Amino acid sequence: MRYALLILLFLAPGLARAQAEALENPGAVSAIQERQYRMNHELYLGVGVLPADAFYKGLTGSVSYTYHFSDTFAWQVGRGTYSYNIQTSLRRQLERDFDVAPTASAFEDQVQWMVGSDLVWSPLYGKTAVLNSSVLHFEAFLIGGGTVVKIDRQDGFRPAINLGLGVRMFSGKTLSFRLDVTNNVVFAGASRIINVPVVQLGTAFNFGATE
Amino acid sequence: MTSRSLIAALASAALVVSPARAPAQSGGGSLPMPPPPSGAKATPAAASKPAPGTPAAAPGAKPAQGAPAASGAKPTQGTPATPGAEAGAPATGTEGTPAATAPATDKKPQAAAEAPPPVPQKVDPGVFDQALKDYFDGKPRAAAGPLYAWLQAAPKTDDNYAWAQYFLARSLIDLGLTHAGASYLARIARERSNPNVIPRALDTLKELTDRPHDDVMIDEQVFGALDLGFLPEDTGAYAHYQQGLVDLRVGNERWANTHFAKLSETSAEASRAKFALLVTRLKQVKEPSEELIADFLGLSKDEKLTREARNEAALAVARLRYERLDYPGALEAYNLVKLPELDPGRASLYLEEAWTRYKLGELRASLGILTTLDAPSFRDEFLPDKYLLRALIYRDLCHYLPAKRAAKELTRRFADSLEAVHNRDDLTQDIRLRRAANSHGGTQRASRFVETLDLEGERLGRYAGSFGDRLFTHLTKLYDLSRAEAVRVYDARLAEAVRQEADTLLRAAEQVRLMEYEVGLKLYERVKKGAKLVAPEDEQLLTPDSVAFRFDGEYWNDELKSYRVSIESRCIEETP
Repeated sequence: MRYALLILLFLAPGLARAQAEALENPGAVSAIQERQYRMNHELYLGVGVLPADAFYKGLTGSVSYTYHFSDTFAWQVGRGTYSYNIQTSLRRQLERDFDVAPTASAFEDQVQWMVGSDLVWSPLYGKTAVLNSSVLHFEAFLIGGGTVVKIDRQDGFRPAINLGLGVRMFSGKTLSFRLDVTNNVVFAGASRIINVPVVQLGTAFNFGATE
Repeated sequence: MTSRSLIAALASAALVVSPARAPAQSGGGSLPMPPPPSGAKATPAAASKPAPGTPAAAPGAKPAQGAPAASGAKPTQGTPATPGAEAGAPATGTEGTPAATAPATDKKPQAAAEAPPPVPQKVDPGVFDQALKDYFDGKPRAAAGPLYAWLQAAPKTDDNYAWAQYFLARSLIDLGLTHAGASYLARIARERSNPNVIPRALDTLKELTDRPHDDVMIDEQVFGALDLGFLPEDTGAYAHYQQGLVDLRVGNERWANTHFAKLSETSAEASRAKFALLVTRLKQVKEPSEELIADFLGLSKDEKLTREARNEAALAVARLRYERLDYPGALEAYNLVKLPELDPGRASLYLEEAWTRYKLGELRASLGILTTLDAPSFRDEFLPDKYLLRALIYRDLCHYLPAKRAAKELTRRFADSLEAVHNRDDLTQDIRLRRAANSHGGTQRASRFVETLDLEGERLGRYAGSFGDRLFTHLTKLYDLSRAEAVRVYDARLAEAVRQEADTLLRAAEQVRLMEYEVGLKLYERVKKGAKLVAPEDEQLLTPDSVAFRFDGEYWNDELKSYRVSIESRCIEETP
């Protein structure tokens, strides 16, 4: 009982102050605006890298189509990525100095292309001031879906789970720029998993958005 | 908003398009002229008007005919030798120097007044050629001094006299001395010694009217008094418009219409003339007709007008509809006002919209707009009504303490100004009233012109070395005289404007006192037994298409029009 009174004693000034503040400045102010940028049918063209594998680096080109159900939820109906792979010096050294065969299984994991489909959730929409002279709108999203990955071997189709996040900068009603960072968890064998991270930057064209 | 304030606001709007008449002659009219050419002794008439038969020089010798850049057709070819050497031109510095001079230039005129007149200098006719070359080589600084020296030595009847004035004016304008340049251009227009130069001079003058300028010297004495027969179409249209405005100002609408009728229907001047006519008519009628409003509405969508003028027309529609108690219509008209991206807009516009929304019962939206008016962009605005409206809204929502505080805020914030009014002090010295008066209408224009003269006066100091003593002394005197006149005009307008602002403040203070009394009674009113809170209104603040940014004291220009306040009513229902 004594403790309860003590706690009440400590809380009382804070509560009184909050009440006085509410009495003096009642109400909450918000800026309520029409959402300036709304996506509908999105066609995306992008370039990127597969940076993680020590034996090769992939330079990718991607194309995708996304249908936006609402401002926060969308379905990336189809996405295709082709990777142009460049061998690293490590691989060259292994082949030259240690006679490692080019068909070694680690070398055959390199991605040739992949296709997939994802769901996109965009909980964040905001704006930022650029040099105090213009306002830039952006949204951030989480992306998750499935991928079929073609790796460099016979019967090289492998399933994968794609998870990642991205940010979109709006340039206009029909044009925006996207940065996606995703990771494809590829099921390469019965008990083997390969991680294929992808970093992509691209341009998104938006069609059919309402004003 | 009273009908008086409406008329005042519209008149102020009209002044954007039609500058007010200055109460007296401009400094431009009494500018110190360059000393008469030495030839003037022999032919005194030549000083006041060009000789009747003074034709332009032979085609080959005129700078207008070859493009000015083509030095092949140099104006001095075939020009008679300047007779400046025969009889010396008196030094400019000795002509009645006014006592009031800028501090930076105090010493020179005094010294000039004390020193004996300098020995007249002979100017080589080639000076004009060289000065033109300098000008076209992009060296106006090098061109100005020699052109002035040549003008002093040459007779006014010289074919190139007007050209020299024109290029001197252009050089000065290029150097940022627009008022000095304008005074030479105005002189060309008044003297009319060379018909080839006049259209160019008028075009340049017309461009200068977009900046703070001497209304009387340019608008009235040049464009308002031009013989319109010989002018090219564009310049003629502007001159007709200005002359129509002059007629309107003196209450002669019929004569004004004669000028306005000559404007092409598709010209911007025709639209501006229509706006001026509508504002004049509005002043004359007690109850504005629907037709008048429709005319303003038409102008608010007229693409030939500047955005500012279109906005003024939209504001006129909104104010007239407000006066007719058509609040939804007024709100619609406020939405016609288009601002550049991220432009904060005008405080008076927000306040008027807030009143309209208040009248429509949109208390929360109105309170949101008042939040906008607290933004740093508007912190210095003179808006006594703001506090009154805020107090009214809080009172209507039964938040009596905030209502009382809002009401008190007015008297607290304007305590100094109210005290100055009660003590019958000089109101022009009150910083708030002065700032309010300077923020619009003729006072604002006069104030900007004084600022421009100050700025150019300072700039002139930088050219002291390259202009030479004679031109520098002449321009210093010109700026001193013009500034003295501009300050006089400004002071006269300020005194009147400050009085009007003080009236506005007193009216608001009076209403606030009543409000305080009313709220004080409400505060201590007993709540009857069984009384319940009024059911909260359904506020649909956020639609699916909207996005909300919670306001935490940081103002973003793109949000200024979008603030909404979520506040509950604390009113209670009286049981029967």
